[in-house]
Amino acid sequence: MRARSAVLASLASAAILLIGWQAGSEASTPGGTTADATTPGAGTPSGSTGSTAAGKSAGPPAAGAKDGTFDGRQIRTRYGTMQVRTTIAGGKITDIVPLKLTDVGSLSGEIDRQAVPMLRSEVLSSQSAKVHTIAGATYTSQGYLSSLQAALDAANFKG
Amino acid sequence: MSRTRTTEERTTSPPQRERYLRRARLADSLETIVWLTVALVLALFLADGGLAEFKTVPGTFTALGIIAGLVGTDLMLVQLLLAARLPVIDRAFGHDHALLVHQRMGKPVFYLISAHMVLLWIGYALTARLNVFAEIWDMFTTLPDMKIAYLGYGLLTVVVITSLVIVRRKFPYEAWHVVHFLAYAAVLAALPHQFSTGQLFADGTWARYYWLALYFGVAAALLVYRFIVPMLRTLRHDLRVSNVVAEAPGVYSIEMTGRSLADLRVRGGQFFIWRFWSRGLWWHAHPFSLSAAPGILRLKVTVRELGGGTSELGALRIGTRVSIEGPYGLFTDRARTTRRAVAVAAGIGITPIISLLEQGDFAPGEMTVIVRAPDEKGLYLHQELQKLCIKKSAALCVLLGRRPKKGHDSWLPARDASRHVSLSTIVPEVRDADVFVCGPRGWTDLVVEDAKQAGVPKFRIHYERFSW
Repeated sequence: MRARSAVLASLASAAILLIGWQAGSEASTPGGTTADATTPGAGTPSGSTGSTAAGKSAGPPAAGAKDGTFDGRQIRTRYGTMQVRTTIAGGKITDIVPLKLTDVGSLSGEIDRQAVPMLRSEVLSSQSAKVHTIAGATYTSQGYLSSLQAALDAANFKG
Repeated sequence: MSRTRTTEERTTSPPQRERYLRRARLADSLETIVWLTVALVLALFLADGGLAEFKTVPGTFTALGIIAGLVGTDLMLVQLLLAARLPVIDRAFGHDHALLVHQRMGKPVFYLISAHMVLLWIGYALTARLNVFAEIWDMFTTLPDMKIAYLGYGLLTVVVITSLVIVRRKFPYEAWHVVHFLAYAAVLAALPHQFSTGQLFADGTWARYYWLALYFGVAAALLVYRFIVPMLRTLRHDLRVSNVVAEAPGVYSIEMTGRSLADLRVRGGQFFIWRFWSRGLWWHAHPFSLSAAPGILRLKVTVRELGGGTSELGALRIGTRVSIEGPYGLFTDRARTTRRAVAVAAGIGITPIISLLEQGDFAPGEMTVIVRAPDEKGLYLHQELQKLCIKKSAALCVLLGRRPKKGHDSWLPARDASRHVSLSTIVPEVRDADVFVCGPRGWTDLVVEDAKQAGVPKFRIHYERFSW
């Protein structure tokens, strides 16, 4: 390969990688910010600005959501298939019940017992499936959140 | 003043250079695409949130394992494409060079696939807090499609081991070739676990479309250019043996006639993979170069008995059907980068050089042909070569004599080697010439080395080696 082509090829490769990296980090950041924004709503009595901010983030986006229970897609993970059911009432996620949990490997049950309640509370407080995965329970988190996202999409819930 | 200089430059820039630049651009573009596919595969992994995996130690192992598998699979598919006889690849690199790259990629790809397996064992074992062996067993028994994936890895291992040069020499070509086809089975066996466990084709991801396009593209290319096109050409041109001439003991010229041969668009110096449909020969496929300019009615090859089915070629009956794959190769005047050319041949290696010179557009004095043989009996097709050199006003230099016995470190006869004869003493302008070399592998490598010593840049050295 001639030098000029080699330079062009590496620049183009770098650009593609950068776009991929950017897309990857954008997909994970919204979960972080909404989790922060909802903390004042969870019970700080101080300023009125905080509560309006919380109201804004939880209120309007859910406008088109249907009420009811919705089953998510079955998500196959390395440790088994996961599926969750979510309940939406008054435009808010009120409950999430696991229908299928990971069952492959000796530690799956134990990991799920710890991770699922953490995921549930994270989601309920942030009103979104875009929350951080739980360290040490990557597969459970990904399966749980992907299935949940599918259920939310079915409910036309925009979190 | 400057105007005269530009016109002069324009007239001295030969058409060969223009053509070479076009080819180099094509070759660079193809190579760039390969690098971009690797970047794209990594980018798709990152876009899918892959970076998050690196936060934990087990996740890091798992992520690296996934990356190794993705890149390895991508490059393995590129390898298949290189062997798929795509016309664009032959035009840019030549069939031989493409296969050389294919061969060189073999080991790195195998290492990547192996790393994929080992890193995922470790990553999963750490995640599940199991020891590695328990995890391997666990994966083997519980993960979907893992058994067939291991089978694929086993097949790949067989393909790689039989292709190691030392091992490969021990097999007849046909046996090796059949084993090599297991690579297709290996790729197919790996597919199910990519669907189920790997989620490579998961709904709604961009990766899905990339991999679908790549797999289907490669499969289509292989099917069309390795099987359908050769079959259609064979049927359409209906080649039959029309004459067999003994040129020397153990050396035969085989002439074939067929329909609409002009449509094959063969260039002198190219080769076909021939299959003669007679008893005892049909299961051998022979790569032979044309030994005369391709005619509208006739194609001719000249072959020397070298085992592997070539010994029966002299007994071919007139009218024997011949099937073809090709034409392939960049050992033609299309490969030229400048006006001057030097062709160096040993023994039966003269054949593509005759068809190259006969059909190529060489002006008087542009070509010098150097032939080496142990003695006069080893000069095959020599009368034809002499006539042709006169007709094309090409210089002809014949080097007779045995090569030095010790170490075979010269391509020249012993007497000339001891007098420090080299390519640049025979043709002083060789630095500015294209060098075409055809002969046995070891000998060809020595000529190529001498050409490099003489200052010929790599892109001007074109060679064809007989041994596979």
